[in-house]
Amino acid sequence: MTDQALITQFQNGDAKEHAFTQLLKRHREPVFFQIKKMVLEHADADDIAQAVWIKVWNKLDGFKQESAFSTWLFRVAYNETLNFIAQKKRIQAQTKQNQLDQDATQPMTHHSIKESDIQIKLERAIAELPEKQRFVFMLRYFDAFDYEKIASITGTTVGGAKANYHQAVKKMTELLHNA
Amino acid sequence: MENESISKELATALNSFKAKSDQVPEGYFDQFEQELMRQIQTEKQQPKQATILSMFANQKKYLVAASLLFAIATGYLFYNDTEQKANTMAKVDLIDIKTLPDELIEAYVNNNELIAEVEWNSAIENAGSSISTNNN
Repeated sequence: MTDQALITQFQNGDAKEHAFTQLLKRHREPVFFQIKKMVLEHADADDIAQAVWIKVWNKLDGFKQESAFSTWLFRVAYNETLNFIAQKKRIQAQTKQNQLDQDATQPMTHHSIKESDIQIKLERAIAELPEKQRFVFMLRYFDAFDYEKIASITGTTVGGAKANYHQAVKKMTELLHNA
Repeated sequence: MENESISKELATALNSFKAKSDQVPEGYFDQFEQELMRQIQTEKQQPKQATILSMFANQKKYLVAASLLFAIATGYLFYNDTEQKANTMAKVDLIDIKTLPDELIEAYVNNNELIAEVEWNSAIENAGSSISTNNN
């Protein structure tokens, strides 16, 4: 059964939950891993992914199928991830002083002894990328999405998406060498 | 090919990054589905928000514009009405004074004798002082 057929089934109200869980089973992994590459923490990715699928459940009735379901799904995921990151930044800014005080009294703990230096550097470099560049890079490099689809997901042009990808590569290379 | 711009070092690090990102606890996605469906069921059982609120929320800008327009129109009408009334009153006063018959003026003076007396006295005094000044 195609995505389109499942969506029609959902929208008609026939076996709504069945149609939804089929869509979930098909798409949950790529969406989750994309989110995780953006936020790095498993717990954060889990929260965002739950929010994404709840939104899908609530909004699928209004989905007009003008684009592929996966494009729409990744757009929801992109927006939810950006909202989450913005919210986290606000909270971090509020608690920054508290954290600085704590850091001053606690000894530095290394991220993981197992992780190589280059991996830590890369994670830092990824974290420093602007969100849009990060999202575009992940979709292109790891999932080999075409630029038309990436542009549609991130609300940019094909040229803009290409520029974002190349800027991300350039910045990561620089940050990796300078860190 | 665009990936040629990626150095070998970066490519290796990215592969490790992917391997790390793709790690999830065993059975995670099944648990994810169960938890999600439980949340959806809970949400379905909760009473839905009144749609009238979201309907108005969508038309917020029109409501604000209509309120502003109403306030401006009301202000304009009120201002015009007040000005018109003031003009009418002023006109009535002017006409009444000019067309007042002598009898009415006499009656008014008789009724307000004291005030009239004071006014007449001061008028006489003024007239007298001007006569004496002229004589000098």
